[in-house]
Amino acid sequence: MNAHIRKLAAGLIVCYLVLFVQLNLLQVVKRPELASNTNNNRGVLRDFDKPRGPIVSADGVVVANSLPSTDTKFKYQRAYPEGDLFANVTGYYTYGFGATKVEKKYSNVLAGNTGQQQLTNITNIFSGQDNTGSVRLTMRADLQQVAKEALGDREGSVVVLDPKTGAVRAMWSYPTYDPNQVAVHDNTQTKNVLTFLNASPGKPLLANAFQERYMPGSTFKIITTAIAIEAGAVNFDSTWANETSFTPEQTTDPIENYNGRVCGGDLREVFRRSCNTPFARTAILLGAETMVTGANLWGIGDPIPFDLGGGAVSHFGEVSDFDQAIPKLAIRGFGQDDNSMVPLQMAMISATVANGGVSMKPYVVDATLDHQGRVLSQTKPSVWRTPIAPQTAAMLNELMVGVVQDGTASCCLKLANGIQAAAKTGTAQLNAKGQQQRSHAWITAFAPAENPQYAVVVMLKGTTDEVSAGTGGKLAGPIAKTILDFALAHPLG
Amino acid sequence: MQALSRRSTELGLIIMAGVITAAMYALASLGKNSIIPPVIVPFLIVMLGLLLVAHFATRKLARGADSTLLPVAAMLHGIGYVMITRLNDHLAGLQTTWTFIAIAAYVGTLLVVQRVPDLARYKWTFFMLGAGLLLLPMVPGVGRSVGGARIWVRLGPINFQPGEFAKILLALFFAGYLYERRELIAASTWNLGPLRLPEPRHFMPIAVSWVFAVVVMVGQKDLGSSLLFFTLFVVMIWVATERATFLVLGFTLFGGAAYMAFRLFTHVQDRVHIWIDPWSQYQGKGYQIVQSMFAIGEGGIAGTGLGQGHPNLIPAVQNDFIFAAIAEEMGLIGSTTVLIAFLLMVGAGLRIAMRAERPFEKLLAVGLTTLLGVQAFIIIGGVIRVVPLTGITLPFVSYGGSSLVANYVLLALLMRVSDSTSRRIGELPDDPTIAERYAAWQLRRTLGKTSAS
Repeated sequence: MNAHIRKLAAGLIVCYLVLFVQLNLLQVVKRPELASNTNNNRGVLRDFDKPRGPIVSADGVVVANSLPSTDTKFKYQRAYPEGDLFANVTGYYTYGFGATKVEKKYSNVLAGNTGQQQLTNITNIFSGQDNTGSVRLTMRADLQQVAKEALGDREGSVVVLDPKTGAVRAMWSYPTYDPNQVAVHDNTQTKNVLTFLNASPGKPLLANAFQERYMPGSTFKIITTAIAIEAGAVNFDSTWANETSFTPEQTTDPIENYNGRVCGGDLREVFRRSCNTPFARTAILLGAETMVTGANLWGIGDPIPFDLGGGAVSHFGEVSDFDQAIPKLAIRGFGQDDNSMVPLQMAMISATVANGGVSMKPYVVDATLDHQGRVLSQTKPSVWRTPIAPQTAAMLNELMVGVVQDGTASCCLKLANGIQAAAKTGTAQLNAKGQQQRSHAWITAFAPAENPQYAVVVMLKGTTDEVSAGTGGKLAGPIAKTILDFALAHPLG
Repeated sequence: MQALSRRSTELGLIIMAGVITAAMYALASLGKNSIIPPVIVPFLIVMLGLLLVAHFATRKLARGADSTLLPVAAMLHGIGYVMITRLNDHLAGLQTTWTFIAIAAYVGTLLVVQRVPDLARYKWTFFMLGAGLLLLPMVPGVGRSVGGARIWVRLGPINFQPGEFAKILLALFFAGYLYERRELIAASTWNLGPLRLPEPRHFMPIAVSWVFAVVVMVGQKDLGSSLLFFTLFVVMIWVATERATFLVLGFTLFGGAAYMAFRLFTHVQDRVHIWIDPWSQYQGKGYQIVQSMFAIGEGGIAGTGLGQGHPNLIPAVQNDFIFAAIAEEMGLIGSTTVLIAFLLMVGAGLRIAMRAERPFEKLLAVGLTTLLGVQAFIIIGGVIRVVPLTGITLPFVSYGGSSLVANYVLLALLMRVSDSTSRRIGELPDDPTIAERYAAWQLRRTLGKTSAS
């Protein structure tokens, strides 16, 4: 019988070998496939049972972190200590409804799941030591707070850039939301909050600073002027006749200056006073092709290469849009009609002028770090476009200084300590003639003019009578001044 | 003396199993609640205490027995206990009670069964008892259906699965029956077409008992046990007769029975469909097995760590699916450890069978080992989708009193066979048992009285 018992032993060993092979298949070979199965929520559960790394501002303020949970569902609760201040940059991180913004884009780093983190942590594979990474922003919490307070309860956005690098120093959008209310562990509550936010008229979940686009009004005259200078069509000696309105061909509807004023003169004068008719005439003079190509050189019409992604695309139009539509070209030439700009891109336009004609890629993530603070990745500033020559940039700089010294922003942008700012204002007319007055108020600026440190855009949405009754200079100007004064008086680090 | 040092080896291994269990217990608690449980010391004392009781009982009652079986069982029992505690505190308390009873049953079995050949004499008793136990769940008012299978019996406050005990009784019966008639059965003088079969009168009782077991099991919808009994029968008759015909015949019969079951019973069809493609039925019948796959995959090589996975996502994980929980939290390393532990027990059991000199003991050891090895294979294979899933427990590991007690009885019987062989081949003096001493004392007294009168 012993021979048969040996055969039985061999048979059972074969059976167990089959089990061993299958275990290897499931636990090693097919592991990634099982983990990525859409029905498998263990990955999310796992991430909720370990701490998630913090998101920290450039001035060292923790804007997102993990706290021990008070409920029994998960071990950790994602928290946003600054409330709504960074909501539109950090985004939120939920159990059942995914994540957004930095929480989404850098989820692997924060959870410690990147290959690099796992590799450096391989010695701790059995101890399961915390290997979560962190994300360091380029944004300053103090400046962000100033921007938030300066805008107050008016809908709109503020963007502050470092023109030399493209680093975003502040980016505030209002209305916004408190991500702590979204990141609760109760799925029903999360769903209710998100449903409410999605239905809110101001679209608080969208960062209007980069996820929406608005009619730019006269701020667009920077672009028209730049294209004209680059094309050799206009220079400081160019002059325009004084007139109250101008009626292009193909229409009987006259283009008027702001408030129907008489406006004209040389380039410096028409720019600082923001006359409409000279820029309408210039757009027609340049023609649709030059205007469209020129706008596109600035990246208008292309997605902004922003590290957060998901931004809106600014719009000027195609050449075909202006076929037999000269008036349209003229009106878009000074930033009205179907011309729309993303506030972030409007800040980049100032930054480009400030940076001698070189447009840098904007970014909010400075670096990602592992659990021991070692740098995993560091964002290197990089050039996106060079839409204008340095001489053109210098000319535009001078024109924008004029706006602050003796133009539409002269009321409101005299900085502390005599620092010279450069700016262009915009008041974008939304209503047709005879309708209720509705206009966005814009300012795009940089300072100091001779050695620019900060470029800023302030955009107030024309949703209220108060905003619609004012101008870009009077409404947005003081906000820009508050921000630039604070930023220049409190250098980072 | 080699046989005596076995007990020292056993003691050392049992202490190791106890310490490993205590360490896992602490780790599981740390992983789950981030604290070392204050009950760790009493837990360690009780756990080690119980194992030491089993060890000293063995030292006293079966000192020549194999030295690895008990520690490996203790190890598996410890892993199971830690997992059950980690999954469900309430069940952990009950499992502790069952552990006491199981160790008592182990000691009791060693105490009652001191001479293996005695068992062969009661084979028909075992058959009747085994048959009775198997039928018990089908008795109205006593039997209970849980999860579709009618395998539970409620007698007063006690719920148990009689099938767990029936399997041991049937192994005893098969061993007793086959050792007597194996030559007659093997002779196979009855020609039926191309087949040469044993005379019907030798063959019939076994065929009847097989049909009986299978019919009862299919009637109770307990496919796992049905498969287990079938394999037990086929393996034992094959080893007893040394004729491959029986193996071929057995598996042919099994194939036929399986096909019939597949055609006749929708729950068998469900099981097969879920086995082939659980993914399409994720929301329904396939949910449990799909969650099991996810859990096992999640474990990877090193596991999530004890107390740090989510095995509770698998419904009824503490019973049939406890292996998936082990694979998730202890990874490939832990799951392979369990496989190796069962292989070690199978190896030790079959070594006992080979060393045994008397055919009855050989067959009994083969039967008991087959039960253990095949039961573990069927349920692990089911959980990891090597075979269709059938609801049986993982010996020593799963939650469940009947299973734990029955498997400790099974272990005690294997130990008894091993000890018996040691004495028979002269490794140990064949001391008289307590019962024999008592008989001798009575005899002396009687003789003394006789001589005095």
